[in-house]
Amino acid sequence: MLPLIFAFLAALFLVAPILIVIPMSFSTAISFQFPPPAYWLGYYRTFFTSEEWLEPTLNSVIIAFGAMVFTMLLVVPAAFGYVRYRFRGKSLVNLLIMSPLIVPHVVSALAYYGFLGRAKLTGTYLGVIVAHGVLAVPVAFLVISATLKGFDRNLERAAMSAGAGPFRTFFHVTLPVLRPGMLVGALFAFLSSFNEAVVALFIAGRGATTLPKKMYESIRLESDPVIAVVSTLLVSAVVLGVLVSVLMRRRPIDAA
Amino acid sequence: MIETRPGFPGARRALGVRGPFRGPLLLLIPSIAVLVLLFIVPIAYVLVLSVTDPRLALAHYQRIFTVPVYTRVLVNTFLTSLVVTAVCLVLGYPVAYVMARRGGWVGTVLLTIVAMSFWTGFLVRTYAWLVILGSKGPVVTAYQALGLGPAPRLLFTTFSSTLGMTHILLPYMILALYAVMKKIDANHLKAAASLGARPLAAFREVFLPLSLPGVVNGSLLVFVTCLGFFVTPVLLGTPRDMMISQLINQQIEELLAWGFASAVAVVLLAATGLVIAVYNRFAGLDRLWG
Repeated sequence: MLPLIFAFLAALFLVAPILIVIPMSFSTAISFQFPPPAYWLGYYRTFFTSEEWLEPTLNSVIIAFGAMVFTMLLVVPAAFGYVRYRFRGKSLVNLLIMSPLIVPHVVSALAYYGFLGRAKLTGTYLGVIVAHGVLAVPVAFLVISATLKGFDRNLERAAMSAGAGPFRTFFHVTLPVLRPGMLVGALFAFLSSFNEAVVALFIAGRGATTLPKKMYESIRLESDPVIAVVSTLLVSAVVLGVLVSVLMRRRPIDAA
Repeated sequence: MIETRPGFPGARRALGVRGPFRGPLLLLIPSIAVLVLLFIVPIAYVLVLSVTDPRLALAHYQRIFTVPVYTRVLVNTFLTSLVVTAVCLVLGYPVAYVMARRGGWVGTVLLTIVAMSFWTGFLVRTYAWLVILGSKGPVVTAYQALGLGPAPRLLFTTFSSTLGMTHILLPYMILALYAVMKKIDANHLKAAASLGARPLAAFREVFLPLSLPGVVNGSLLVFVTCLGFFVTPVLLGTPRDMMISQLINQQIEELLAWGFASAVAVVLLAATGLVIAVYNRFAGLDRLWG
């Protein structure tokens, strides 16, 4: 019984602070005041009408999508090559693929700031997409290679022996079976970029400001109450996603 | 890679490739090339800058390890990471334990909560703590309502930044523990019980040792992430408790001191690498990725 009580207290500690952003988003207060003095929807209107917030939101979606595509183009073939073949230097390749996860983000941020700065790519979509795409490689690789390891190759052999060529087998057997894992990998890559703050702070500049960067600056410089609205929308999206995945009886983060 | 010319007849044997020779190379080359050119090279450039900017010398490193302001940053980062890791472990272990040992709605609810906080961005959670601990927040309000006089300053203290980091990293700890604990066969505990072990003894002698790999994985993950933490200590902490990543940012943002910032980054990278190398020596990195 004691562990149960303790576990629920710890869970409360995890969830309660996050939920506080919801009432805050309807507050009329200009500063971070809780409980709110009164409620209205004014800051929602501000969010949905101001360039200042909509632009970073749109930037984040574009960049996260671009990073996801870039990551998947690298990771899908790499996972096949890695899982299905034995070759010399395999553990070195593994270390290389995992390196963006090992290197602290602030070090990567500094490195990209210097590197992309020289290439005149700081403050551009391309620059942030490349950096975020590389940083998302390990997460996507973990998910997709795990899916691939669990794939029963007899399915392919059966298709081949039934007369299907390698391409037909790949597109009609291999890919459909792996699709859920691929989608999870892609989602993780998307979220990895969408939530990333440190590298974006260093390299996004004014031209490609992402939502986390805008939130950081808003907290640090002006304590703009619209941040509660943004937080509420983000929390709602997460709650929705997690509930859907729980209801679909897929354990939400097992692959992480 | 020893030989990358696809036509080279001995290459297949040289690389120890099984299956169609070009397979792994063609599939892996794009990601290897991108990671080397767009990740390793930029990092290496930081390494180079740390000893060449503004001139070829190791002076930056000497400064980091001898000037008290900087050694304090190193020590503070290390101690903060230790504290955060320990608190995460103490809070996270029972949660993971209950999640792993209990199915049904209890497990589902806990897993849902952990997943939710795992996926909520750092900035949302940091902002939430700014509200909770702020001078017009619920803690201060409750304190005054109880007539306890003026509330102590909570925000922008060592306490607030440690609390914020713990809150953010706790889900990582729980998931790492849970991944190991859910694989522990319940029959081991039944066997212990049938041999006369009381629940507490069975836990101590059987479950706890079997869960240790999860403890190591979770602690490593939290400690290493904490070493490089940036956003939360900046927004919740005090400049007095500067962490390594804040020092890097400060040197670049305010002073444009590329060489020194790079040297600090290399020290952080080396510290992280050292921790991971020790882990690799004893557990093997593959186990971390699971």
